[in-house]
Formats: sequence, C-alpha cells, structure tokens
Amino acid sequence: MQTETLKKGRSMTLPGLAPLGRILRFLMRQPTSAFGLAVIALLVIGAIFAPLLATHNPYAQDLTNTLAPPGNGHWFGTDELGRDIWSRLVHGTRITLTIIALVTVVVGPIGLAVGTIAGYYGGAVDTVMMRITDIFLSFPSLILSLAFVAALGPSLSNAIIAIALTSWPPIARLARAETLTFRAEDYVSAARLQGASDFRIIMKSIVPMCLPSVLIRLTLNMATVILTAAGLGFLGLGAQPPLPEWGAMIATGRRYMIDSWWLVTFPGIAILCVSLAFNLVGDGLRDALDPKQMNRR
Amino acid sequence: MIMHACVRPLAAASLLALAAGPALAKTPDDQLVIGFSMTNILTLDPAAITGKETVQVLANVYDGLVQLDPVNRSEVQPDLAESWDVAEDGMSITFHLREAEFASGNPVRAEDVVWSFRRLMELNLAQASFLKTYGFTAEAAETAFTAPDDRTVVVTLPQKVNPQLIISTLGIVGPGSILDSKLVMENERDGDMGTAWLSQNSAGSAAFALQQWKSNNLVLLTRNDNFWGEEPAMRRIIWRHVPESQSQRLQLERQDLDIAFQLAPADLNALQNKDGIEIQTTPSAGFYYLAMSMADERFQNPKVREAMRYLIDYKGLNDAILPFFGKMHQRPISGGFFGLLDDPGYTFDPERAKQLLAEGGFPNGMDVTLRALSDDPFLNLATALQGSLAQGGVRAEVITGSGDQIYGAMRERNFEMIVGRGGGGQLPDPDSNMRALIYNPDNSDEARLTNFQGWRTSFMDEELNNLIDAGASEADLETRRQIYADIQNRIDEVVPPLIPFSEVVTSAAYRADLEGFVVNPSWSTDLSTVTKNR
Amino acid sequence: MLTRSRTRGLLRQAGTIAVTLLGLLVLTFAIGRLMPADPVRAIVGEEATQDTYMQVYQELGLDRPLPMQFLMYLRDVLTGDFGTSIRTGQPVLNDILTVMPATLELATLAILIGATLGITLGVIAAVKKDRWQDQVIRVFSLMGHSMPIFWTGMIALLIFYAALGWVGGGGRMEDYFIGLVPEVTNFILIDAALAGEWEVFWSALNHLILPASLLGYSSSAYITRMTRSFMLDQINQEYITTARVKGLSVRQTIWRHAFLNIRVQLVTIVALAYGALLEGAVLIETVFSWPGFGQYLTSNLMIGDMNAVMTCVLLVGVIFIALNLLSDVLYRVFDPRTR
Repeated sequence: MQTETLKKGRSMTLPGLAPLGRILRFLMRQPTSAFGLAVIALLVIGAIFAPLLATHNPYAQDLTNTLAPPGNGHWFGTDELGRDIWSRLVHGTRITLTIIALVTVVVGPIGLAVGTIAGYYGGAVDTVMMRITDIFLSFPSLILSLAFVAALGPSLSNAIIAIALTSWPPIARLARAETLTFRAEDYVSAARLQGASDFRIIMKSIVPMCLPSVLIRLTLNMATVILTAAGLGFLGLGAQPPLPEWGAMIATGRRYMIDSWWLVTFPGIAILCVSLAFNLVGDGLRDALDPKQMNRR
Repeated sequence: MIMHACVRPLAAASLLALAAGPALAKTPDDQLVIGFSMTNILTLDPAAITGKETVQVLANVYDGLVQLDPVNRSEVQPDLAESWDVAEDGMSITFHLREAEFASGNPVRAEDVVWSFRRLMELNLAQASFLKTYGFTAEAAETAFTAPDDRTVVVTLPQKVNPQLIISTLGIVGPGSILDSKLVMENERDGDMGTAWLSQNSAGSAAFALQQWKSNNLVLLTRNDNFWGEEPAMRRIIWRHVPESQSQRLQLERQDLDIAFQLAPADLNALQNKDGIEIQTTPSAGFYYLAMSMADERFQNPKVREAMRYLIDYKGLNDAILPFFGKMHQRPISGGFFGLLDDPGYTFDPERAKQLLAEGGFPNGMDVTLRALSDDPFLNLATALQGSLAQGGVRAEVITGSGDQIYGAMRERNFEMIVGRGGGGQLPDPDSNMRALIYNPDNSDEARLTNFQGWRTSFMDEELNNLIDAGASEADLETRRQIYADIQNRIDEVVPPLIPFSEVVTSAAYRADLEGFVVNPSWSTDLSTVTKNR
Repeated sequence: MLTRSRTRGLLRQAGTIAVTLLGLLVLTFAIGRLMPADPVRAIVGEEATQDTYMQVYQELGLDRPLPMQFLMYLRDVLTGDFGTSIRTGQPVLNDILTVMPATLELATLAILIGATLGITLGVIAAVKKDRWQDQVIRVFSLMGHSMPIFWTGMIALLIFYAALGWVGGGGRMEDYFIGLVPEVTNFILIDAALAGEWEVFWSALNHLILPASLLGYSSSAYITRMTRSFMLDQINQEYITTARVKGLSVRQTIWRHAFLNIRVQLVTIVALAYGALLEGAVLIETVFSWPGFGQYLTSNLMIGDMNAVMTCVLLVGVIFIALNLLSDVLYRVFDPRTR
C-alpha cells in the first residue's frame, strides 16, 4: 500500500525517507525502544558536551593519586596513572560515536553500490559481486576484523577499517534484494525508455528506494559494531593508549581488577548500556517494519 | 499452564549449573602446580631454547656436568661430573663422571656428554652462541670434546680463555645440558638430530622427565624413577600458562597454584601480607638502563652523557617504581659476580647536570625523544625519567610501543634515548655482562652486531674492548680481578651511553607450606628438593 | 528431467563453494603477507645476527614475488600442508587439531544451554505476545546479546570463582588432574566418563559451566527472537485454532503441533548460532585461560605467527561455509515445501 503512493515519480526528494518520522513515533510508543532512544540521545549529548561534562582532563596523569576509589572529587575513581575515569568515560563516547559514524558512512555507500549494481545489471556482474560478498560473509565479523587489524597494524583507524570491511556484505545483500524488486517496476522502465543512463537510473530511481531498509539495517548493525570495536580494544588491537576507548580501558583495568573494581566496572557498564540501547531500538525497528504490526496499532 | 510447560527445560538447565557444586581446592601433596607465562616457550630442545621460562622447566629435566650455585653466584657445584681438574696450562678441563642413568634407563656415558656438546655446535641454534663466544666451532667440535674412557670427558679450549668461564658456561641449562644420545638418535627424523622429537619428549637424567608440552597451555613433568639423586617428593610438576598476573594471584590465593612466577608488583604487594603465602625476591640477569645513541651527534660529547648520569633519580626510581622489579645498582656487572666493585654512588644532581650540559655546549638544555615499551614498568620509568630529565633542561618526548617498535629502533640504531632492560648475566661471570653491554668489535653500520648493546648505541672504546678480551682469557684470579676493576673505572671515566640504574630481580610468590624452594638467579631453579609440609 | 536439473543444481553449488574457497584463500594469503610483525625476527629472536636473519628470510620464501608466493601457498594448502607454526615449531594443522576439542566442548555445551534457553523463552514470548512476559524476555535476551562477553566473563569469574568459590577458575579442569585421563576424544567430559574418573569429570564440568553459560546466554538472543517469530507464524495459522476447537489443551497445541512444525527451521537457526559462538569463544577463552582455538588464534596474532593466523582464519571460514551448507541441506531434506 505504502509503496503505491511513494512510487509516484517523486524520486528527486528521497521519497523512501518519508516513513522515517512515522517509524520514530512508533519507536517512542514502546517503552523498551524509547529507553534505547533515550540512551542514544544521552550518548550523543555526552559526546557533544564532553569537555563540559568531564571534571578532569582525560589524559592528565597524577602519579600521586593512582587507583583511587570513587569519591573525593573523582566520581568513578582514578586509573593506574591517576587519570579520572569519569572524564575518560565521557570522552570515550566520542570515540564510540566516531567508530559508529565512520563505519556507517563507509559501509552504507559500499553496500549500496555493490548491491544496487549487482541487482540492476544481473548476470555475470551479479554473480561476481555476490561471490565476493559471500566470501566476506563466510566469516564471523570479529574474527575477520581481528585478522585484518593484525595485518594492518593495531590502531583505532585500522580497527574502523577492519570493521567496515567486514560489515558491508549484509548491506550489499539487502540492497541487491531490494533492487531486484524495483528493477522491473514501471517507473524504472520508463526512465530507461526516456534514455536515462544506467548510472542515473541507479542513483535517482533505485538508491532512494533502497535507502530506508538500508538505513534500518545499518542501525541494527550498530550494536555489533560497538561490541566488535570494544572486543578489538580489549585484545589490544583497537584504539591504542592513551585513548580512552572503553574496551581498551577494560583491558588495562583488568591488571588491577581484584583491588580496584572501578577500573573495569564502569567502562563495562557503559558498553553494555550503549549496545543494549542500539539493540532495543533495532528490535523496535524490526517490529516497526513489520506491516502487520504497524497497521494493527 | 503454558508457563508450567515451558519451565521444565529451564529447570533442567539450572540443575546442570548447580550440579557442578563447590570447587575443589588445594593441590595434592605429591604434585606441584606452577603458574607462569609460556608465551616465550618455543621449543624444549635444550640446544634451541631461548629465554628464562624454558630454562626454568628444563633445569628439572636435564643435568649438566656441573650446576650453578643458587646462592653463591660465582661458584659451581658437581652434577653429572663428580669432580674435575684443569690442566697446568689452563687449556683443557677433565671431568670425571658419576655412575648415573638417564630416565630411559640407559647409562650416562662419556660418549653421551661428548655427543651432546657436538650436537649443540653442529645444530648451531640459539644456545650454541654461549660456546661460540669462546671460540668453539662445529668444525673443531671433534677435537674440542673428547672421551678418553667411559667415565672421563676432556674439554680442550680452542683459545686462551679463563677455564672457570667455560666450566660456568657448562653449568648453564641449554649449552650444558646432557642428552641421552642413544634415545635421541633412535628418534631422529631427516637428520635433525632429534630436534623435532625433543619438543614433545625429553632425554635427560634429572629428577623429572617431560610427559607433555602443549604450547601456551601447559608443560607436564613426571618423576624420573631412574634419577641418580635423592627421590623427589613430587610425583608430577604441572607448569600452567597463566599469563595474567591477577589470575595467578587469584589461583594462588585459592590454592589452585603452589608457585606463581610472573606476578606484577601490585599483586606482590597485595600478597605480601596474606597468610599462607610467601614471596622470594632474588637477583636475576640484566639491568634497567637509560641508553643514548651515539649515532646522534649530541651524545658523542662525553659531557652530555655524563650530564645524563646525574639526571636519573636512582633512589626515587628504585623505591617508587621498581620494587619487585629491580634493585638499585649502578655498575654494569651483576650483583654477586666476580670482580664487582662497590656502587660509585651517582646521585640525582640536576645542578651538576646543567653545568655539564653547558660545558658540553647546551646551556639551554635540549629536546630528545625517549623510547619505552608500553608495559609495566617501562611506561612508569619513562614518565619518571621525563620528569627528572626536565629538571636538568632535557625535554624528553616519550614514545611508547611494542618490542618490535622500541627495541627494533634500537637494533636499527635509529633512536635518541631509550629506557630498557638487558645486559646478559645468565652466565654468572662479569664477562657475560661486558659482552652484552660494552663490547663492540666493529662499529660500522654494516657489521649489524645487533646482539651487542655497545653496537646498538654506537659506542666503541678500543681500550675497553682490549680489557674485556684480556679479562676473559686471564687465568690468574688476582690479575683478573684487577682487570675488571680497571674496566669499571674506565667506564666511570668515559661514560658509555648506556647507564644502568637498577639490577633486575625476580620475585616468586608461593604457598607457605612449600619447603626447599630456592629460586636460582640463573633461572635454573631445582624443584626436586621441594616438599609440602602439611 | 528433474534429476538432471538437480544434478546441475548440485554442480552449480559445488562450483560456488569452490569459488568461495578460492576467495577465502586469497583473503587469508593477503592477510598473511600484510602482517607487519616480522616473522623472521619472531623465529630468530632479539639477539640474532644479520646472517641468521637473511638465511631464515630466504628459507621462508619471502624473497620471491608475491604471485609466486601465492601459488606456493595454494600448492601447500591443496596438499594439506599448512606450514609450521613459528611459535610451536609444530605443523599448524596439528596445533589446531589439539586445541580444537577444547573449543568444541565449550561451544557444544554453550549451544545446548543457549538453545534450551532461547527456544523456551522464544515460545513463551510468542504465546504471551505483547504481555509483560514478552517484554521481560525481550530485554533479558537482548541483554545477553549486548553484553561485552569478555567483561561479563571477568566479572563472573570475580564473583563465582574468587569470591564465592562455586566454580573453578581458568583452564579446563583442576591443573593436577591434567594428563590423568587417557585422551581418546579430547573432550574431557567424555574422556573422563569413559575412564570412570568421576572426580575429573566434575572438575571439568565445574570449569566448563561458567564460560559455557555466558556463551550460551549471549547466543540465546538470536535463537529466542527467531523462535518467537516462527511460533507467531504458526499460532496465527488456522490449524492451531482448529486444534484448540477440537479440545486440545494449550500446552498440547503449542508443543505437539506448533513446535513440531518449526523444528526444522530451529535446527538451521541453531546451526548458524553455533558458528557465531566461535566468535564469542575468541574473547571468552582469553578471559578463562581456555586452551582452545580462540586463545591459539589471538596469541599467534600478537606475535605475528603468519602460518598459524592464516590457517585459523581459513578454518573459521570453512566451518562457516560448512554450517551454512548444512543448514541448507537440512532445510531441503526436512522441509516438504522445498522438496
């Protein structure tokens, strides 16, 4: 029903994005996904205002006040170099958001390009592209990222590249499937008859139609991205010291875990909360996408 | 109703969880469980091993002709050789073997001893370098090691070297380990002299035999029933790979481990006052040092190097950062070694350093980079050194990284300053320190003598080289002592670019009910005497 | 006609798999060659001389052109030679075969726990759709999916091992039991049971239960969600209503009819979840000093043991392809509609 109305030639203004507002409203009605949205909002606010929220410089060492328990001006205590954990956590939100944003920015276009081109042209192009996609799909993302980071050298940017390299295939798959359904539609044939180039058709008619589902799929992916990045950081293959990346904070804090619980507890809770938030929102989105659900409510 | 139907599998799952019940604690009386890191164990063939952990294990599997004394470091004790004598001219040593059997039941013959040494030289793997240093070669091994009869072994020195040095070297686990030649050759593959087989099996005569090695997991030793010495109280020794210090500590506290070898200072501190746990701290091999590269013009000036000597807070570093890691030490010869002089008593003196820097042409100080491993304690050392250097006007930018990045740069001679650890000392003789730290026979870039710190720091002093060679070959004790005194005074004067500020120590924590556990500074800790007093 | 198209389909699938495998090999080869760690230095050690270094460099074939190196790699892999691990000096395949049982034992118990939990919760959630039970289950299972498993593992060890002493610490069993049971299958639980060493059996279970529960919990999220949605499809169908009308109890309807109908789909889901467990295993093995595949992979990554890393990655890829294939086949064999 919805696609009927959307099809009517308004391809110039990203028609696919129209229902997003409705989806958002749907999400807010559900307590679980509303909670998720709230946490994500907090995360974004935290990242924007990190310098204001932080009570200390996240990198400032104070070797006279190492491993101090929470309290005494340090809400979450200090780490092995006397750095304020609360401030590091707050600044860590920026790293987390950067990872999510960069991965999404890289993965979205790649996935869309591969998927739409494969789906649009079909035949040999399709086969080759989907074979490559399958090869990447045949790994669990963490293990492939691990191997890539090991190959590229451990650093935050390489971790992002590695995660991006491993998370585009599902997007490509999805975009291809969507493209296949749109390819035969009247307005695409019409555009072709008018002599529009393939590139133009893909960009103007097909990509906008795939966009909503791709965006949603990207959101669903974010929790995994966070966990993979944290896992890489934990293994020493992600963000490098002194960056306040949460997984790396846990990895170093682990050396002092028995006597100083606060070193690992707070970053762990932070990761859990944020990844749970994205998962809750993702779960809500899945319901929102289910037409049966949307209509019923 | 429905709830009830679904509850059953859930209940089953939780039952499974409960069934496990409380954990079993306490290791058995006749088994010793040791936690350490096995990351560095690459092989268990005594000719090929590298690093301290393998020595710790193999010391209990292989005997040497002699063994290094765990307390008095410049002495050796009889092992497979009951006695030995040095020829008048000091050019050969005759060892007299005791009656003993290998774990296989084969007798220990002079032939096995000679074969083991020849094998070592012929394979030319890591451990051969100990003997190569003193002129032994694979080609001349036939004449260097001979067996006139079944119970006698003669070692002929290829060049003039103090025979005591050779005897000590033969006490090191690795170059000195005696193998059961018959057993090894039965298991030879493609002319490898048993190297492959020896990684999973052993052919020694010491108190234990290797039952199993699983890389980064465990090494299992079982009692050797044919052992010639007193029967050990332990039936098995289990060496477990527990890389994290905190896990070792937990397991030691919960009595899942008897000995923990790689604890971080924070954990040693916490364990210090725990009932039922004791800590042993022993000097080990090597030093913590601050090194400069003389490839950098500024450090070619001895005044500048001397200034650095006074910008190290010796006491502060050793008290605040190095407890359980190191012990204050300023001479490049290990504690307890032959010929060591008292510490020269350098102190942290920024004023004097500033003056020296001004004399050296740097009245306004200088900017340098300081490299350090990003691990404990190097990171903290670098931070502290950064502070003390700054007081003398030396503004250091700290560069941290992995071993490849830090020591790699040093090997390439591409660094300014570095805070590191090293300097020989497994062979308990000053010669080993000198060769590791000072000696540099060829200072050209092409020489790539990367195993000499002297070459790495581009330091070469003709006179010191000569003195070191003389010290190694001198047979007379008093003359030799004088040579090492001269060396140390010369070092005090010319200021080599590598300044030791602490001697490496190792600390092991163990259950207090262990008796007879004495950590050997040369890593070859004998566990056959350990008993549990419960 | 039908058989011919079937054969062709099979051939096609075989071709696809072959191409994917070749792609895997290219990928692993690229990863191996890109590794920055110096494999030669890892062999010869810190203090080696330049001559030794160059000798090993040539022995490893690192002086040849890349395409040549790839062909050499391909030839080696096809002949079953995956090279020797730098660290252990053993053939990599042997190494992996010795560490794999530990991981499989962990993953198998984990999937049993995960599937039991996930299917149970999924059915409840479907039956109680949109009621509070559904919401609680949703949050509970998403929680499992959201936790950084390495962190949960650490916290769990601190609580259940260090503080309470309910379970064993790191490793597969008490260390002093190691080597007391003959290694038949290398699954300690089975080996101990075969040998009648019940003390060892309990010790192993005691060490297994915590990491397996955590892994199982984390994998249950996916199983719960899929079970719920399969069940919902069934519940909405007419025959359920018919069955209820015919007087069957709710319990009978759910388990005898709806559940039976989704069992094939569930098997495929569980097979896929099993593969995903390998990922969690990498992290949890590090925390629990579990001498398995994950620890082998990570410790070799750190020191740049090329052959080992390449083979590990390859193996994971192959396992994944195999599991996908398996779930495909299962689907075809058991599902009447696809026949």
